[in-house]
Amino acid sequence: MLDIKRLERRWLKYKIKKFLPYAVGVIAILILGITTFFWTYPEDSKNAPKVVTLPQKLPAEPVVQPIETTVLEPSMEFVQSFQGTPPPQKAQAVAAYSPKPVQRQVYSKPVVETFNVPEYTPPQPKVLTPAPKVSTNANGISINRDESKLDIDELQSRFKENSNANLGLFIARYHYEHGNYSEAYNYALKTNTLNNRIDESWILFAKSLVKLNRIDQAKKTLQLYISQSNSDNAKGLLESIDNGSFK
Amino acid sequence: MENSLFSKPRDLFLDVVNPRDYVQIDSVSHMYQLLKDSVQKPLKMILLYGRPGTGKSMLLHKLHHDLSKHQKVFMVSTPIIDEDDFLRVLAQNIFGHAPREVMTLNRFLEVSGALSLSDVPIVLLDEAQLYSSALMEKIRLISDARAIKFVITLHKTDKEDVIAKEHFQTRIWESIELQNASAEELKVYIQKKLLKANCFDVANMFNDKNMKLITSLTKGNYRETNKLLFSLFSLYCWYEENQPHSLQYNAIKPKWIEMAAIHTGLIHA
Repeated sequence: MLDIKRLERRWLKYKIKKFLPYAVGVIAILILGITTFFWTYPEDSKNAPKVVTLPQKLPAEPVVQPIETTVLEPSMEFVQSFQGTPPPQKAQAVAAYSPKPVQRQVYSKPVVETFNVPEYTPPQPKVLTPAPKVSTNANGISINRDESKLDIDELQSRFKENSNANLGLFIARYHYEHGNYSEAYNYALKTNTLNNRIDESWILFAKSLVKLNRIDQAKKTLQLYISQSNSDNAKGLLESIDNGSFK
Repeated sequence: MENSLFSKPRDLFLDVVNPRDYVQIDSVSHMYQLLKDSVQKPLKMILLYGRPGTGKSMLLHKLHHDLSKHQKVFMVSTPIIDEDDFLRVLAQNIFGHAPREVMTLNRFLEVSGALSLSDVPIVLLDEAQLYSSALMEKIRLISDARAIKFVITLHKTDKEDVIAKEHFQTRIWESIELQNASAEELKVYIQKKLLKANCFDVANMFNDKNMKLITSLTKGNYRETNKLLFSLFSLYCWYEENQPHSLQYNAIKPKWIEMAAIHTGLIHA
């Protein structure tokens, strides 16, 4: 008889034990980093006493800073501009600001584009098809066997007999993984007619359509399905088809 | 509990050797074909060895099941340690001779010589590492006299290399080593077993991530895999009955695989 509570406690203990070395390592690196930072920082400030002027400029750099600095600075600049001498400090400050927002804008776009992409990359077809092994018997007859493949023909004939939606989904997934997109389409369609609430079957159906270059039909199908089910997976797939990240 | 979706898959992975449960996988089928071919050759002894849980007993039972339709085959699943009992059991089951007196080796060879069978009968010995050296020597003499052809299975351990054993060094003409399954083979094994029993929805739950975890825990050993999956589906049965809201039907939870591994001793927590 299973003692689930005890088993869950043991699992938690195991997980803590497993991740403890990593956590300790990360904390140690953090502590090391912080201490080295504080160790080296005062030395730098001691070695370069001339740069003491910098702290006076620093409060002027962030625009967010309250009125204290902005109230004082403009009056001085105006005085300088009236005297005809351009303020060199301000020019430096503007130059220091300009690259930051530009970089942020550049980085922000790819984050949006890569939404949900890894989930929809088709798995490698190698998984179920290792190279057939060859055996030779006394008469020199070689036997090629490839039993690692699932007996898909047998499964298909069983599906014809019992029309089980789960089996249909299994076969559709098998064909999709092996690149037989038209077969995957057919079986996903049959599965959908048997049970129209299986999310994965609709996803496979739409993905097979895309692979068969029937992108518009795939989009329409997904839109229809989303309107009925509000499926997040379907939304993600539709978005990646629109972006062109799923081909 | 018995109406659970997971009770049938659980029972599929009971560690019972039954030739009807034999699942065809690439490497295993290849080994089985080799074994069948070896049996047809005029060899005296065939050795089938490998680590525990690599499917030796299953292959031997399968061979017995297939060969017994065509020729005289006798299977000794549980080792008979006593020499007299061993020879007596063989004489009775193969030659139909039930002596009242003590069965010596000479007497046994006389009996076998008197009955001239067209084909040399085959005896399958499972767990042969449990036989004594003296009895193994007698088995060797019987096979030398071509009274019986032996197919024996042995555990391969780290400490001793069974092939190097004195009995087998010169007498074995064919030796076949069984190994653990790869991740792909294990996936096919589990899925074929589930599909054979019409557990399509449960078969759909296993993804590649699950299979990697199972393979890393069991190292591709069939017996360990059976034990792990039996525990896993027992957990599912419990959760289905007591906490159905925690169940997910689209994938197997890695947490529960690890819990099953803790329960079976594959993870020491």
